[in-house]
Amino acid sequence: MKFPAINMRRTYLIARRDYLGYVKTWGFWISFFLPFICGLIYAFVLWSGVSVSPTRYETILDETGLHKAAIIQLDKDNREKISTEVLSALGETILPAAQTKELNALIAEKGVQAGQDYLNAKIPGAGNKLKAAESRMIFVEPPSHDLASLKAYMRGDKQFQFDGEDIKLNGVIHIYEDNGINADYWSPNFNNPEAERLTKKYFKRLSTDRYLAGGNLSQKGLDAARNEALTVNTFDPTKTDLKEGGSQKVTMTDRVPYLAAGILSLMLWLTVFSGAYMLLTSMLEEKMNKLLEMMLASTRFTEIIFGKLLGVAALTITAMLPYIILGIGTVIGFIFFGDPEIAEGLKNTFTIKMVVFFIIFLILGYVFYGAFFIALGALAESMQDAQTLTTPIMIVLSACILVVPIGMESPDSPILIFASWFPLSAPFAAIVRLPSDPPLWELTLSALFLGILSIGVIMLAERIFRFGVLSGSGVKGATDWFKRTILRRKTN
Amino acid sequence: MTLQSPLSIHGVSKSFGGKVAVENVSFTVKPGEIIGFLGPNGAGKTTTLRMALGLIKPDSGEVKLFGGQPGAESSFGRIGFLPEERGLYKKQTARESIAHMARLNGIKSKEAFKIADTMLDKYGLSEAKRKKNKDMSKGMAQKVQLLAAIAHDPEFYILDEPFSGLDPVNQHVLESIVREIADRGRTIIFSTHVMEHAERLCDRIILMAGGRKVFDGPTDEALSKVPRRMVIGSDDARLTELMTPFAKSLSKREDGTLDLILKDKANNQEILERCVAEKINLTRFEPKQPTLHEAFVAMVGNDMRADMDTNILEVGQ
Repeated sequence: MKFPAINMRRTYLIARRDYLGYVKTWGFWISFFLPFICGLIYAFVLWSGVSVSPTRYETILDETGLHKAAIIQLDKDNREKISTEVLSALGETILPAAQTKELNALIAEKGVQAGQDYLNAKIPGAGNKLKAAESRMIFVEPPSHDLASLKAYMRGDKQFQFDGEDIKLNGVIHIYEDNGINADYWSPNFNNPEAERLTKKYFKRLSTDRYLAGGNLSQKGLDAARNEALTVNTFDPTKTDLKEGGSQKVTMTDRVPYLAAGILSLMLWLTVFSGAYMLLTSMLEEKMNKLLEMMLASTRFTEIIFGKLLGVAALTITAMLPYIILGIGTVIGFIFFGDPEIAEGLKNTFTIKMVVFFIIFLILGYVFYGAFFIALGALAESMQDAQTLTTPIMIVLSACILVVPIGMESPDSPILIFASWFPLSAPFAAIVRLPSDPPLWELTLSALFLGILSIGVIMLAERIFRFGVLSGSGVKGATDWFKRTILRRKTN
Repeated sequence: MTLQSPLSIHGVSKSFGGKVAVENVSFTVKPGEIIGFLGPNGAGKTTTLRMALGLIKPDSGEVKLFGGQPGAESSFGRIGFLPEERGLYKKQTARESIAHMARLNGIKSKEAFKIADTMLDKYGLSEAKRKKNKDMSKGMAQKVQLLAAIAHDPEFYILDEPFSGLDPVNQHVLESIVREIADRGRTIIFSTHVMEHAERLCDRIILMAGGRKVFDGPTDEALSKVPRRMVIGSDDARLTELMTPFAKSLSKREDGTLDLILKDKANNQEILERCVAEKINLTRFEPKQPTLHEAFVAMVGNDMRADMDTNILEVGQ
C-alpha cells in the first residue's frame, strides 16, 4: 500500500481558498458574532430593565374572606425561597468556599437583602443580578367585587389605576362557596400558569395541613423531619488518590472529570457535525463550479482532499473560537476563583493523557468523517443528491451522541467499550471513557484502529472522488458500478 | 541535446462500464508542436487527454508525461490544462481566479497577482479585474478561465475543446492567443471537433474516430488524402468530353457547371492549357482546396461518421 505524496504548499493554497471562501461570507460572521451579540442584548435587557414577560397584574376575589392573604403570603414565601437559592448558587459559583459559607449563614439569619448586600460588597454589582429572578406577577386589590365587572377589566374594556398608571387586569382568582369551597382562575392569557399554579399549590398545602392537623401534626414539623433525614454519602472503592485525612468519599472533584469529558465529547461531535457538512457542500460547490478538472492538472486528488479537510478544520475552529475562549476562560476562572472541589476536579480532568488522547481522537474523528463526506460530495450532483446520500450517515452520527450520557453514567458499560472500538462512534466514546482511566493499550489500539481506517477512508474517498468527479456520472455511476460488479447485471 | 517529449502514449485503452472509449491509441508529442486532436463527439479525445494527465488510469498501455508517470511531482507546473467542462469560483474576482491557479502552479503570490493584472489588461478585461466571477458575462468568464489555465506560462498546453462556447470574435482572440503561445516555442495539443481551427493553427493532426486513432501526421498529408476537386464551366458543349480524361468522376451541377473529382495525376495547369488550346471559352475555373473535414470523411467514411455522431459515448466524455 502506497500513500500518495502530498505537496504542502498546494495543500495550503487549497485550504486557504476554502477557508477564505467561507470566511468572506456574511453568514459566517453573523454566526461568529452571534454569541457576542446575544450577550450584548442580554446585558442591555438587564441594564434597561426591559422584560420579555411584562408584569402581570392579578387579583383575588375571595368571597369566603379566608384565603386571599394566605395566597399572597405563599407567593412572597416562594419568591423569597427562589431568591435565596439563586443567591446561594451565585455565591457558590463566584465566591471562594469560605465566603460562600458566610453568605449562606447571613441569608439564613438576616434574609435575602443582607445576602445581596454581602455579595455586592465582595464583588461589586454581582448581587444585583438577582433582579432577573424577581417575579413579574403583582397582586392588586380587586377594582370591583363582582366577577362580571372584573371580566370587563380583563378584556381591556375598563382599566384601573396602579402606581399612577392605567393598568389592564390580567387574571382573577375567584374563590367562592358552592357546595363547599371552589376556586376558579379567570384570564384571557390562560397559557401563563403562574397564578393558577400558585392557587393549586395553596389549596394542596391547605389540604395537607388539615390532614396533618388531624394527627396533631404540622407542615413545619414535616419539613423539619425531612431536613433531619439521613444524608447518603457515596464512596468509590477504587479511589486511591486520597488527600490528607481524606476518605474514599465521592466529591465534586471526582464527578467533574466525567462532566468535562462529556462536554469535550459533545464539542468533538459538534465539530464533526458542522465540519463534515461544510466539506460536503464545499465539494458539491466545486463540482457544480466545474473547476475540479482544471485544478487536477495542477494538484493531486489527495492534496485537494487534505486541503479541504484543513481549510474546513481551520474554519470550524474559527467559528467555535468564541465558545473555545469562553470555555477556557470558564475553566481558568473555576480553577483560580471557584469552589476548590470543582477546581481540583478540573485540574484532575486535564491530565496529559486526557489532552493527548482528546487531540488524537479529535483529529482522527474529524478526518474519518470528513473524508467520508468529501467522497459523498464528489458523488452528489445536486443538493437533493447530497441530502439523500448523507441522511443515513447523519442518523448514525446523531445516534453516536448517545454514548455521552452512557459514558457519564456507566463508563464501564459494555456498550461504551464496544462503541470505543466501532469506528463511527469511537472518537466520542473514547473521550467520554477517559476519566474512568481505561487501559492505555485499549486507547492506543482504538486510536490506531481508527487511524488505519481513516487512511482507508481517505484512499476510498480518493477513488470515489476520482470516479465521481471525472466520470460525471455521480450517484447513477455508483449504482451502475454496483450492478455491474456486485450483481453482475448489465447496465445501460 | 534532444529535448524531452512532453507526452508519449503507447497502446492505451480505456473502457467505461464495458463500453470502449479509447482503444489502443499511441502517439508522441514533440516539443514545439501544435497538434490538433480531432474527431467527432464521442471519439475518445477527452478520455485520452484525461489519461495523458493521469486523471484517469488506462486499462492498458502506458503514458509518459515529461518522461515520467502522470501525476509525478516533476510534471506539476509544466502543464496548462483547459478542460472541456470548466468554471470559476463564483465569489472570486477575475484576478483572484487567475492568481490562485498560477500559485497552485508554483508562482509566488505577489508575482501571480502581477501576472493576472497584466493578462487581464492585455486581453481587454481590465474592468473585470475586481469583478466577481458570478457578475461576469459568459464570454468574459470563458476568457478568464483560459487565462487562469495559462497564467503560469507552462511548457505544454493541453486544451480540450477550447473554442467551444465562444462567439466568433472570441474564437479569433483565442486563435491569436494560441499563435502567441506557439511563437514562444511552447507545445500545444488541443482537441476540437471544428476542423477549421485545426486547419488554421496546426502543423500536425491526430484524428480519432470510435475510440481509435485513424490518422496521425502533418496537416498537408491529411489533406492529401482528399481527392482533388474542381468546378469548371463553359457554354461550349465540348467541355464534358474534354474533361473526361482528367476526372475520376464528373457530375453536372444545377447551374450547368461541371463538378470534377480529379485523377491523381491530373494537373490544374494542364487542364487550363488544354481548354485554351481547344479555344473553349471558360465561364468558371475553380480548383477546390481540400478541407480537413473532407479528409476526415475520406479517412473514416461517411457511414462510420454518421454512426459515431448518433452513438455518442456518454461515459468518460
